Amino acid sequence: MPPRSFGTLRLSAKARGGRSVIDGFRCSGATKVAFPAARQALEAIVVNTAGGVTGGDQFDIEAAAGPGSRMTLTTQAAERAYRSQSGQARIESRLRVAEGAVLHWLPQELILFNGADVARRLSVSLEPGGELLLVEPVVFGRIAMQERLTRARFRDRIEISREGRPLYFDAVDMDGAIDRQLGQAAVAMGARAMASAVLVSARAESLLQPVRRALPGTGGASLLSEDVLVLRLLADDAFFLRKALIPSLEMLAGAALPKSWSL
Amino acid sequence: MATGGPMRMSTGPRRMSPDHRLLTLAQWASPGYPTGAFAYSHGLEAAIRAGWVKDAGTLRLWLRALLAHGSARSEAVWLGLGYRAGSAAALEELDALAAAFAATRERLRESRRQGAAFRQVTNAVWGFDLPEVMLPLAFGQAAHRAGIDLAPAAIVFVQAFVANLVSAAVRLVPLGQTEGQQVIASLAAACAALGKVAEAATRDDIFSNAFLSDIAAMQHENLEPRLFQT
Repeated sequence: MPPRSFGTLRLSAKARGGRSVIDGFRCSGATKVAFPAARQALEAIVVNTAGGVTGGDQFDIEAAAGPGSRMTLTTQAAERAYRSQSGQARIESRLRVAEGAVLHWLPQELILFNGADVARRLSVSLEPGGELLLVEPVVFGRIAMQERLTRARFRDRIEISREGRPLYFDAVDMDGAIDRQLGQAAVAMGARAMASAVLVSARAESLLQPVRRALPGTGGASLLSEDVLVLRLLADDAFFLRKALIPSLEMLAGAALPKSWSL
Repeated sequence: MATGGPMRMSTGPRRMSPDHRLLTLAQWASPGYPTGAFAYSHGLEAAIRAGWVKDAGTLRLWLRALLAHGSARSEAVWLGLGYRAGSAAALEELDALAAAFAATRERLRESRRQGAAFRQVTNAVWGFDLPEVMLPLAFGQAAHRAGIDLAPAAIVFVQAFVANLVSAAVRLVPLGQTEGQQVIASLAAACAALGKVAEAATRDDIFSNAFLSDIAAMQHENLEPRLFQT
């Protein structure tokens, strides 16, 4: 049995002199962070030195964008969720966005291998005037290897609250023959890659129609309330998912995406 | 009602006979109960326009996925949570959570407007004081107050949900009335399975894996021309 991996990251940003800088930073275990040459925002590239996650692993991230600061979190590579020998891989991320702060959560794909057992939770707490963009791309099976998910478990929750009140919640719970479930028309019509994105911003309403025009026929967007825009997109594989997602994601970000997001 | 306040039933909810409870449930789930359900297709209109649903077979599979791991299953969970909510404040707190879980703006409106209509008529006729909450929460709480068991309330509710979508499909697809009824009958076991789901429901049981159904509901917001509001 492979050894159990763990990793933690605590990171906070603060605004200083028109830029955003590290306020607090600590990481441990298999989680490392690279900080590329700073632009306006503090950008952090999270690296999992264990090379993936499997049963029994636990990865935690706590990140906070302080008042008026801008922080972008991404990952160095797609996260591989390997077959689980026993137990589940737990991935917990908690984000806080202070007044006037902007936080972009733009990880690369989570790739589920056959036999994977992943329980993931992303919770975000917003203060008034805090802006958030998040995306979560998921790839169901190593498509290039024609792998099919005949037995896997994937539990995923997104919980966004503002001033303690629920703003946007979403949960997915797939169990067993996920490949067959994805074949169902109401689920994915055989698509094996899916992305969800949420923007909480005063810009949301003006972006709805441009984002819709940028999406293919297997994508959609909706304005849940005046400043909350959600997007969901299905594609055949990770490449087509990125290709279809990047134009609308750039609009939502209102800024260049991290380098890891180039095709 | 034009005159006076709501009519109070002479028999309190808990004193309804089993037959009376069954008839009350049938009345609430009837397409004639004025919740305006006929105006909503839950995104099915867009799925039909896209060609994802095109006949009885594809309709049955679409609805079966919603019952197994999509929004129809979630409706049963919300109904169970609404049934067991102990106060108006608890119901309103669940309502805020249910609104946050809405996949699209039109879905939110679909459930809010039907919930408001259900509340208005049910309070008026049965003398309840249900707060204004989304439809499955209101239906579940009303069933509780009428002394109707949770599992039958949930399965009858989800079958009415399915039947409403079949009615929409009959108008939009070349699909006969008899074929439509065959689809509903073939989904009886899938509806019945949700009784236990509603009984065991906790907040952690809310999920939806019916991604393309949610995408269809998003696309419906831009659909022209349209027969349905969702």
